Amino acid sequence: MNRYIQMMDNNQSRRSFLKTTAALSLARSAAPLAMSLASMGEASALTAPAGDYKALVCVFLYGGNDYANTLIPYDQSSYNAYQSFRSNLAISKVFLDPTVLNPITPLPGGQQYALAPELAALMPRFNSGALSVLLNIGTLVEPITKAKYASGNANLPPKLFSHNDQQSYWQSSSPEGASTGWGGRMGDLFQAGNAGGSAFTCIGLNGNAVYLSGQTTFQYQLTTAGAVPFNAVNSSLFGSSSASAALKAVLNTPRTHLLENEYLNVTQRSMNAYSSVNQAFSKSTLSTSFPLANSLGDQLQAVAKLISVRASLGVKRQVFFVSLGGFDNHTLLAKVHPGLMQTLGDAMSAFYQATVDLGVANQVTTFTASDFGRTLLSNSDGSDHGWGSMHFMLGGAVKGQSFIGTPPVLANNGPDDVGQGRLLPQLSVDQLAATLGNWFGVSAQDQLSVLPNLKNFTLKDLGNLSAT
Amino acid sequence: MQSNPDEMTSQGDPGVVRPKNELDKQRPLDGSFLRLNESTFSTLSSMSVLGVLSACGSDVADELAMPLPAPSTAINRLDLLTSNAPNGSSPGSLPAHISLRVDVSSVAATSASTAPVSTTDANALFNWAEQQYPSLFPGVKANLTTSSYVYRYYPETKNYLGVGVSGSTVGNVYVLGPLSGGVLALVGTLQGFACQVSGGACTLTSANDAARFLSQATLGYTRADLNNLSQTTISQWLDAQFAQPTSISYFSWLINNGYDSSGFENSTAGMDNVVWKKLISSPDVLRQKMVQVFSEIWVVSVLGINASWRQFSVANYLDVLEANVFGNFRTLIEQITMTPAMSYYLTYQGNVKTNPTTGSEPDENYARELMQLFTIGLLNLNNDGSLQLVNGAPVQTYSQNDVSGLARVFTGWSVDTHGLTAPYGPIYQQRPLVQVSSKYETGAKTFLGVTIPAGTTAAQSLKIALDTVFNHPNTAPFVCRQLIQKLVTSNPSAGYINRVANVFINNGNSVRGDLKAVIKAILMDPEARDLSLAQQSNSFGKVREPIVRFLCWARAFNANSATDAWAIGDVSSAGSALGQSPMRSPTVFNFYRPGYVPPNSALSSAGLVAPELQLSDETTVAAYVNYMQKAIAGSGVGDLKADYSLLQAIASNSNALLAELNTLLACGEIDAQTLTNFKVALDTISVTTSAGVMNRIYAALTLVLACPQFIVQK
Repeated sequence: MNRYIQMMDNNQSRRSFLKTTAALSLARSAAPLAMSLASMGEASALTAPAGDYKALVCVFLYGGNDYANTLIPYDQSSYNAYQSFRSNLAISKVFLDPTVLNPITPLPGGQQYALAPELAALMPRFNSGALSVLLNIGTLVEPITKAKYASGNANLPPKLFSHNDQQSYWQSSSPEGASTGWGGRMGDLFQAGNAGGSAFTCIGLNGNAVYLSGQTTFQYQLTTAGAVPFNAVNSSLFGSSSASAALKAVLNTPRTHLLENEYLNVTQRSMNAYSSVNQAFSKSTLSTSFPLANSLGDQLQAVAKLISVRASLGVKRQVFFVSLGGFDNHTLLAKVHPGLMQTLGDAMSAFYQATVDLGVANQVTTFTASDFGRTLLSNSDGSDHGWGSMHFMLGGAVKGQSFIGTPPVLANNGPDDVGQGRLLPQLSVDQLAATLGNWFGVSAQDQLSVLPNLKNFTLKDLGNLSAT
Repeated sequence: MQSNPDEMTSQGDPGVVRPKNELDKQRPLDGSFLRLNESTFSTLSSMSVLGVLSACGSDVADELAMPLPAPSTAINRLDLLTSNAPNGSSPGSLPAHISLRVDVSSVAATSASTAPVSTTDANALFNWAEQQYPSLFPGVKANLTTSSYVYRYYPETKNYLGVGVSGSTVGNVYVLGPLSGGVLALVGTLQGFACQVSGGACTLTSANDAARFLSQATLGYTRADLNNLSQTTISQWLDAQFAQPTSISYFSWLINNGYDSSGFENSTAGMDNVVWKKLISSPDVLRQKMVQVFSEIWVVSVLGINASWRQFSVANYLDVLEANVFGNFRTLIEQITMTPAMSYYLTYQGNVKTNPTTGSEPDENYARELMQLFTIGLLNLNNDGSLQLVNGAPVQTYSQNDVSGLARVFTGWSVDTHGLTAPYGPIYQQRPLVQVSSKYETGAKTFLGVTIPAGTTAAQSLKIALDTVFNHPNTAPFVCRQLIQKLVTSNPSAGYINRVANVFINNGNSVRGDLKAVIKAILMDPEARDLSLAQQSNSFGKVREPIVRFLCWARAFNANSATDAWAIGDVSSAGSALGQSPMRSPTVFNFYRPGYVPPNSALSSAGLVAPELQLSDETTVAAYVNYMQKAIAGSGVGDLKADYSLLQAIASNSNALLAELNTLLACGEIDAQTLTNFKVALDTISVTTSAGVMNRIYAALTLVLACPQFIVQK
């Protein structure tokens, strides 16, 4: 007799696969996590002292930011290599003179970098010690060498070079389909400490992103103008308060159908949060000017406003997610990328200024992230999907005016790339996340459950964030 | 073989051999036989089915009226009847990859209908099953009956196929045997199978059945559309839709309305207008649905077309979709590949071959997304959509080398500007791409195990490349699953995917990629048509995306723009409109992912996806209601006005008003309690003035359009 075999379907098996390979440590560490949460009430290490506030801000650059025109080698021999490989995409050296970076500790061998010219707004931040540059960071499961990669036996993040999967991997250490991100997993640890406003632990300004989803924390979405009310609930529905009440009732009556009920869950969170968010938001006295017509700036301005009213929201630890699209520059890179850099630099600089004006510069740390870097070589007017990239950390607690990591050799199939100048990352996202987590107050043990791959790396802190 | 005297046949002669394929409609069921069976029932019922079967000789087993388990013990296996996968199991063996997608614990064993079962209907099902699944139900067998079932038994495979005839299980279809692992399994209902069994020669007489069908097959329907459907059969309706001519082309409408004047060269002006016109008012309703569906799988967005006359580029793309959604998938992918729109969007416009001097390599964008998003996906699939596992791990369909190799095919293709002088008018956006030979890579190209020899022409290289992805075993399940998700349900069973994928592979006339056949298979499948499944499952169906919710309202009431301007505009704003707008996807990954799972949810715990919920967050759920509240009253949507005359005639009766909206928008899914609550509220709105009448209508519409029973299509 044939035996009835139940095999996992597409999504179930993928989820099982993810659970067993990427997040099993999450499950194994559920106990410590649960104990941490349970001990919240007894002033555990995760309860922030009174007056203590910290925020993480993730600036996600969707599409894969082109590293080679973001941080450009400036010393002559490095620049020559850059120019020869980049060919028609190379930025002329003369344009880089104003943005040459002089770190406190010079790079070995006289190497120098310049920021893209349009990132000029970040120069004073670098020079004042608020900006640190991460060299050659990307998604990894464990440290990788070129030989290991070439052998075909390396333990690699799945679906390298695929936008949606690498976006997910940066945000959650799992490919597309992940249900939690490391920002949300950190938020889980502090949610109980945000007594008045645990619903505002993880806040997004630009649509759902797995980064902010935790095991218990829900990401909360706002617009740059604040929360959106249900007009017909807040006032009458075509003149009828009964109809308004009926609308409110039907949007708050649980349903047995799973899809219906999940829709209602979002609706209820929206209604429940609206008045507290908007009351707080409207009281913000933030006066820092932000760049006009800059969608990243608009998002960061909203973040700054929310930070300014953190006391009314009742939060001590928050994780924010903002984003900018348009980085997938397969074509027209020379025309499009400078504008993206301008938007990025101006918005981040204004945001830092806002934190200074609010007196919380040391309590807010911002970092950039992206699907991947791109190829060094041109495809005649753009670059293609890569891997390792250059990213920034910005904040008063950052030990800035610094580079973290080793400058990669720019080449085509050289020691630091896997062909066409796609960098082989030497720093992992987990190491960045752990650095941020340590500063945020995540214990070493909880780090291992927040970041399942962290155990594979010896260096668990990049060392460029001051503890307090 | 020893025969137990207790199990002797009514003929009393255990040695009589009856030909197994003899059609015996006159088989006597005399009282002695029945008494015999009742006396053996208590003995046999305590044995396992296997025990009973093994105790019988093969020539006795088909005489025995088996004590079939009571219907209430059935488990639900709605995907069980699966055609053998062509790339898998051998005939007669259980398909190797049956998986359960429907939340069976919530599907009750009670049927939706209480009408008595006609022998004609039961026989139609049995005969169809014997033709469709000959490896499971071989040959033609006689009907047997008990008080609970009419059924047939197939001794060659030891499977039973039966229909419930009594009590609360009337009309339910069951299987029992090796097919079901030895347990009684509910696989559907006569009502659910009727469409497929009759080959579409079935008429949906119930309003809810008809509404569900039109919700799946269109972007919205009027009362007249419902009435018309009830006068025709499904296959007549589909064939009429397939034959319906297109309305004015997108491209022509833009020209006719002056959007080719030079001021519009570098804007999107006109695009939203013509797209809304088509989506809301074009009468070829099934075609419009399929264009909208394909536009969200084979994504092109005006936001990513950096060229002059981008609105014309998108218009031409949509014209190409209209011309091909009822054709063959192979033709569709080639025609799409040759549009300027796709070449701009996925950046192979003017793509240049390898330059050994500079080291530059061809742009890989289209090669990657053609595979990842449009044809084969990232991981090897079985024909039923499940992952193929090797040593417990999924297998990637392509490597970076495949991408680089395939990218070489998409070189040299450029927009066709011959005969034109710069600055070009929009006409070039309508012409298929042409080759610029100096940019074309003439070297060998290797990808997916195929090597195109050096010296092959661009056209031939393209043909080989598209043939390769078209014929890849992943393509049928990868594409069909997404089509099912967009038309019917977000979590189709493996069986459903397998059945539809098999039609993609072979439409019955040895043609692969026949989209008409695939559309028919999706809409006629029992999983789409089974009303009891829809009503009793807590997970069947899909969330309507905001654009589609808007269109359901607009089409239900013949919303029209009297000036033909259709100036609804870009409704992408998450805070003040729908949070998505046609042809304005932020990326090639569409507004939402087919595999999206809301975090921390009952759906994630149950292993279910809800793609459209990726668009639902605290901002958009409120903005949607706010937007619709104004749109229904003609505010914020240009001169778009709905025709509420049918509603005005019944508005003084809130029950009647709500019943009509329930049918037209929510397929009758709004429960009685909710309707009562709505009615009580609506009754407080006085209808003594015409303004009052409209207020009541608007309030009723808002309530229905906002409620979860409408948001989720079942």
